[in-house]
Amino acid sequence: MTPAFLLQTLASFVAILLLVALAAWARIARPTPVLDEDTARALIAEEFPDHRIGPVWVADDGAAAIARSRDEALIVYRAGDGYVARSLSWSRLAEAKASGAAVALKLGDITAPRARFALAEGAIWPPAIGEAGR
Amino acid sequence: MIDPVTLATPFFILAVILEIVLSKLGKTRTRYEGKDTLVSLSLGLGSTLAGLLTAGVVFAASLWVYQHRIFTIPMTAWWAWAAIFFLEDLTYYGFHRISHERRVWWAAHVNHHSSQHYNLSTALRQTWTGGLNGTWLLWLPLAFLGFPPPMIAIEKSISLVYQFWIHTEAIRRLPAPIEAVFNTPSHHRVHHARNPRYLDSNYAGILIIWDRLFGTFVAEDEVEPPRYGIVKNLGDFNILRAVFHEWAAIGQDLWRSRSLREAAGYLFGPPGWSPDGSRQTSTQLKAAWARRPSPVTASAVVPGLVPGIQSQAATAPTGGSSAQGRG
Repeated sequence: MTPAFLLQTLASFVAILLLVALAAWARIARPTPVLDEDTARALIAEEFPDHRIGPVWVADDGAAAIARSRDEALIVYRAGDGYVARSLSWSRLAEAKASGAAVALKLGDITAPRARFALAEGAIWPPAIGEAGR
Repeated sequence: MIDPVTLATPFFILAVILEIVLSKLGKTRTRYEGKDTLVSLSLGLGSTLAGLLTAGVVFAASLWVYQHRIFTIPMTAWWAWAAIFFLEDLTYYGFHRISHERRVWWAAHVNHHSSQHYNLSTALRQTWTGGLNGTWLLWLPLAFLGFPPPMIAIEKSISLVYQFWIHTEAIRRLPAPIEAVFNTPSHHRVHHARNPRYLDSNYAGILIIWDRLFGTFVAEDEVEPPRYGIVKNLGDFNILRAVFHEWAAIGQDLWRSRSLREAAGYLFGPPGWSPDGSRQTSTQLKAAWARRPSPVTASAVVPGLVPGIQSQAATAPTGGSSAQGRG
């Protein structure tokens, strides 16, 4: 490992930090407004186009939503300024326990290990939403 | 040897700064998110470091093949550079196509696509594991033909530098003759899209002619803007997850496989292949899309979900999947 290589690597680290700081300072992330039932339904419908979407439950902070399609839970949640979608069985969703004002749901997926759902005070888990046929 | 990528690195940095500043000033529709940018740039630096681990083997193999070459092609001849320009670009097309259509190679390439953003930092989101899965073997025939290994390395770097600037939303369409021949921001936006209609298309490096020739070209449709990322987007910004998730998933599948056929399918089948058909490949996703009467676009009701698109009516697919361009 030569001094020139070390210097180049160090300079690259510094450049990365400066660029990330600039990107954060610029505040040019995608606007991700708080989800309501309509926006959440549209988002879920886009991610799961072959499912029939029934009533939609939206997390208290508007950063995640769940719909039920037969025995499947269709979920979307915010990651950064984008959304991530996954499906799992409704029974697995129901097994998750609330801790404080949120539920941390293990998705059993290497690419998306867990999703967090903020609960309003007194909210019940799992969400009491009816199912829709596929 | 002069490495075009090293020479171009200061310009990469300046271009990213320019893109951010122009977006801040409202001159472009580009979006940057801090954590996403950190992962993309770190993947770029990590790729350079990881590449050093296999660079010696790759170069030694090239030299060995070159010693058994058919012709001796001079590095100083103009025609030799013209020839390698086309041949390397065709090789890149093949490499890129196999990197999308076969899972064991997709595992090394997927991290370039896992950002939900499309900006110049995405271009630097390079692989850490590409040297391990042997795609570099595809360039050995060039050495066997008689192109000197340094010439091949320089041409590969020129291709990589070219592909930097096309990772932007700041440029919409270029004049038609350029769009007809070259890979452009518009063509490459399609390549990075996760909309079913755009999957597995536009594998070009510098010249889009290969996609047109081999039936993988899909034009960007203004009515359906690209949604970036992968079919199942990553749930967080963990850089190790971004690098290794598909390898880990392959490991899980191999562990559970019940026969050699299944194991081979998990390794060399298309991404999304499964023995029971419980997952979906790109071909199946595209076919399902083509069957749908009227897909819903969330951007119609979630402003900003698609960068720069504030509202949009739902759109219906036009024609069958064959018209969308998979060869």
